[in-house]
Amino acid sequence: MTPWQKTRSRAAPWFLLPALLLLGIFVVWPMGRALFWSATNADLLAPGRAAWVGAEHYRDLLTDARFRQAFANTALFAVLTIPLQTTLAFLLALWVNRPEPVWRWLRAVFFIPVIVSMPVLAVLWTMLYQPPQGSGMGLVNVAVSFLGGEPRAWLHDPATALPAIVVMSIWQGVGLQMMVFLASLQAVPRELLEAARLDGASAFQRVVHVVIPSVRNTIIFVITVTTIFAFRLFVQPYLMTRGGPENRTLSLVQSIYEMTFLSQELGRASAAAFLFMALIVLLIFLQRHFLKEVRE
Amino acid sequence: MAAFLAPLFFCILSRGALLFRPLAGVFIAAVIVFVLSGCSRPREPSPRQIIRVWAHQGQEAENRAMRSIADAFNHAHPDLRVELTFFPDFQYTEKLAIAAAAGDLPDAFDLDGPLVARYVDSGLLQPLDPFFSKGDLEDFLPTVIHQGTVDGVLYALGVFESGVVLYYDREMLASAGVSPPSASGEGWSWEAFMSACQQLSAAGIKPLSLHMNESADEWYTYAFSPVIWSAGGALISADGASVRDILSSPQNVESLRQWQEIFLRKYADTDPLDPDPFGNGKAAMDWTGHWMARSHLEKKGDRLGVMPLPRAGASFSAPCGSWCWAISARAPQPEHAAQWLKWVTNSEHGIVPMVRANGAIPARRSAFAHFPEYQRPPYSLFREQLETIARPRPLTPYYASLTRGFAAALRDISRGVDVQRRLEMAEEEIDRELQRRLPAGKEVSR
Repeated sequence: MTPWQKTRSRAAPWFLLPALLLLGIFVVWPMGRALFWSATNADLLAPGRAAWVGAEHYRDLLTDARFRQAFANTALFAVLTIPLQTTLAFLLALWVNRPEPVWRWLRAVFFIPVIVSMPVLAVLWTMLYQPPQGSGMGLVNVAVSFLGGEPRAWLHDPATALPAIVVMSIWQGVGLQMMVFLASLQAVPRELLEAARLDGASAFQRVVHVVIPSVRNTIIFVITVTTIFAFRLFVQPYLMTRGGPENRTLSLVQSIYEMTFLSQELGRASAAAFLFMALIVLLIFLQRHFLKEVRE
Repeated sequence: MAAFLAPLFFCILSRGALLFRPLAGVFIAAVIVFVLSGCSRPREPSPRQIIRVWAHQGQEAENRAMRSIADAFNHAHPDLRVELTFFPDFQYTEKLAIAAAAGDLPDAFDLDGPLVARYVDSGLLQPLDPFFSKGDLEDFLPTVIHQGTVDGVLYALGVFESGVVLYYDREMLASAGVSPPSASGEGWSWEAFMSACQQLSAAGIKPLSLHMNESADEWYTYAFSPVIWSAGGALISADGASVRDILSSPQNVESLRQWQEIFLRKYADTDPLDPDPFGNGKAAMDWTGHWMARSHLEKKGDRLGVMPLPRAGASFSAPCGSWCWAISARAPQPEHAAQWLKWVTNSEHGIVPMVRANGAIPARRSAFAHFPEYQRPPYSLFREQLETIARPRPLTPYYASLTRGFAAALRDISRGVDVQRRLEMAEEEIDRELQRRLPAGKEVSR
């Protein structure tokens, strides 16, 4: 070791210290406290009066009909959203990946919903889904009846409320994933595409055998991020249906939020938050395991 | 602040590490000290005792009134100083809860009436009885005292009250051949109400607005509990500890079925877009609160009529309750905070300016003298209801769970689900929570 290297390694901990300290204060310590609370019956208004309950909250949550419903809803939302949104984003990216300026406009159009605030979009889509009443109905129902379908109360029917929110969420979020795909599509080596074309590969074959392998890491990234976003579902159902009808759009985050701020059961909410975190970590771990990124 | 500065320092340090090596430790120590010390400024020693006061932010006129009440208080009390802080309405309750969790509640604060029992249960409020004379308290409307009293001890006092009535447009009713009850203060039975709706509907007039687009859960519990109460039903047991066989009782199922008929027969919209169809002449009747009285009166003049909400059973009923003031149990000088409470609930100093600003119903009888409009309808009905038929929402520490479950059920019922099944579902959900949270000694036998 040269003297220079030696001083460097001696200085390293000092440079790490501020970051570690901040991480410790703002991440590790609160999480440790939440973990402790999750094993007590702590009350948000009087956390000092907590008594130890061990794993009781975890046991209770796993058998609680409302929490299980929230889990089922969120999982269904994710199962519907992740493949649809990823595929759609990829197809859109392929479509708008052209150099002419007009396509740039189209990219912007698809991206607009991403930058508009979610509460605004929630109100907008609630109006779009408006059931027929009096003289008017929402645009979705106008379109449905134009196509010969039966207008209905999309957000009030337990069977259609969650799918309606899925459609809205995909519409809102697809622009972001499209942009990510677009960036990586533009990095696909032109020589490869050129060579494939010369070898007589059709457009479809080029996408399957050249483009997809080249953007594999991006696909994995997009799936991971979409999974996390999907499980964090909260604002859309909270504002559009309040978790109804009959809890069919209640999300995990809404149920944790309500435990914390409505029922104010801090201990139970912490336990729910840890279950939620464990679920996400597990999912990411599984995805990483089965969809390995290619590193050069 | 610290979170932004630290990476900046880190950047500077790592780039110039070799140059500043001897100083690095000093810099880092400085950053740490800065982070740990927060941004606290040394306070000027003040000869006046500070009273920390939090209030929810209302309409701008209301906030202005609040500030001027505080200014007048400071002016009148040379030894005390109220430091007033507003927080936006929609996050105020969360803000209070977090402050309570951190042991940092202000000396005095306002909170929504139904939350009083919860705060008392957590030992956060100071009893008010020692600070108010019996004569003082007798001046308050009975509902205000009821709302702030838990187990016989007074913890909170309101400045204003609230109420819901059935407003109607005399001309629209007349054009459909509907005659409202003749005597003032008299209302309709459910049958009379439904047949009026039927007649209006047949005449091509939208009968009713129920404001089902309200985003707050509380609207549903607040405005429609009277349907249940008027039929002799209840939401929760008298001790506030059980809903089993109470919420989904046959009489509640029956009264909410009658209520559901309003929507099934399309007398009112389940998803209105218009916030005020009655004021805009698109509905003949409006089931809403005192806060619309001013605007309805301006728009309708003599055409405006009011009556109590229709009764689903034998007796009339009305909701009530509003924001009220309390003192933190940890206030170092509760008698100072009590000075503020006395001031803000005083008719001249607090109630008159506040009620002028927000148009709510004065909480004290002596304050009505300042508001001549309470001599005649629609305003006289608000006072009359509060003195006779109004009923506060259940005083239970678990109110938040009760109202969420009940409001969700009402939303679904308005859209046509089976009333009994939906009430049983709500009951199951709320009951599970009550059973879990009741202290061991209060266990309710099934």
